[in-house]
Amino acid sequence: MTQLGELQKALPRFEAAGIKLYAVSYDEPEALAAFAHAQGIGFPLLADSGSAVIRRFGILNTFVAETDAPFYGIPFPGTYVLDEEGIVREKFFRRHLANRESADTVLESALGEILMGEADPRADAGDEDVRVTAFFHGGPLRSGPLRRVVVRFELRDGLHIYAEPVPDGMVATDVIVEGPDGLMVEAPILPPSEPLRLEVLDADLQVWSGTVDIAVPIWANSELVCIMRPVDPNVVTLDVTVRYQACDDTTCLMPRTERLRVEVPLAPHDVPAFLDGTGHRGVDVDSMKYFRDMVNRTRG
Amino acid sequence: MGQNDFTDEFGFTAPLPVTHAQRKIPDEGFATGPAVGARLPDFELQSHTGERIALHADRGDSKAAVVFFRSAVW
Repeated sequence: MTQLGELQKALPRFEAAGIKLYAVSYDEPEALAAFAHAQGIGFPLLADSGSAVIRRFGILNTFVAETDAPFYGIPFPGTYVLDEEGIVREKFFRRHLANRESADTVLESALGEILMGEADPRADAGDEDVRVTAFFHGGPLRSGPLRRVVVRFELRDGLHIYAEPVPDGMVATDVIVEGPDGLMVEAPILPPSEPLRLEVLDADLQVWSGTVDIAVPIWANSELVCIMRPVDPNVVTLDVTVRYQACDDTTCLMPRTERLRVEVPLAPHDVPAFLDGTGHRGVDVDSMKYFRDMVNRTRG
Repeated sequence: MGQNDFTDEFGFTAPLPVTHAQRKIPDEGFATGPAVGARLPDFELQSHTGERIALHADRGDSKAAVVFFRSAVW
């Protein structure tokens, strides 16, 4: 599974930050043990074999019918990010089963900041007042798992940019990501803004200052990356259009539109392996044995 | 690529019909469990190493991510 493999790869970074990782499924402990062994998973995979916790949490996938056993009992897949007190600070649930947050997104949600990777493809623009950098974050683009295009504004002290809504004549910050057919672009995720009262306009505004990250989750559907054909070409270009206006408390700079291009790699995948039907491509484990067990337990 | 038996509303194609249990897509507004701002209810489950793990006791004072995933089998 791409998701747990990605989390495993990021495990040293979770551990360095003191963030614990747990993954829960409706599988039997033996099936989880085989999977963990094959994937080299070093964090706890927890067996909610009767889906009791899944039900108690209210996340039993009710769109899978009970008659669809052994598939019945799965959760709506999602992730809860907890603070030191065990309070849910953020949660990630998506309608599409193939959409999962990247390990970076989960880690950075817990950290409370986005860490630009040295190898992240990027493009930048701007000047000494406002620096604008767009970077592609979370690993190569795949069919399903979510990645992010992050637009980072670095504002000179005293400057701010605006969140929606703004009065006529002012420009709210806007980020648009476009790419080839099959690129799925989700709504931008905005950081918390701060209130600003403009007496002269009798307006209450919302602004950002300092370093501002706007993250746009993206993924590839099968028009761009299909598990049933090789990836070709293996790079795509994203067009990132950024519009903003920076002001200080007395004056505004001219509105700016930056057009940035970011070259994004597509992850290669093993096309013939899709026929194994387990959904866990590239993992050396006899899933069929555990699938038979899963069928048999539903007869009990 | 249009929508067909193997391509879902998101344009995702796989070698199973979209009506198969493995490919059911929840409606908008499906349940996502404990709310942001609430303490995650505690639970105790057996791990893949055979250890029984009680979430909050095991976590101690650490931040944590709890992932609910589909299955390690299929």
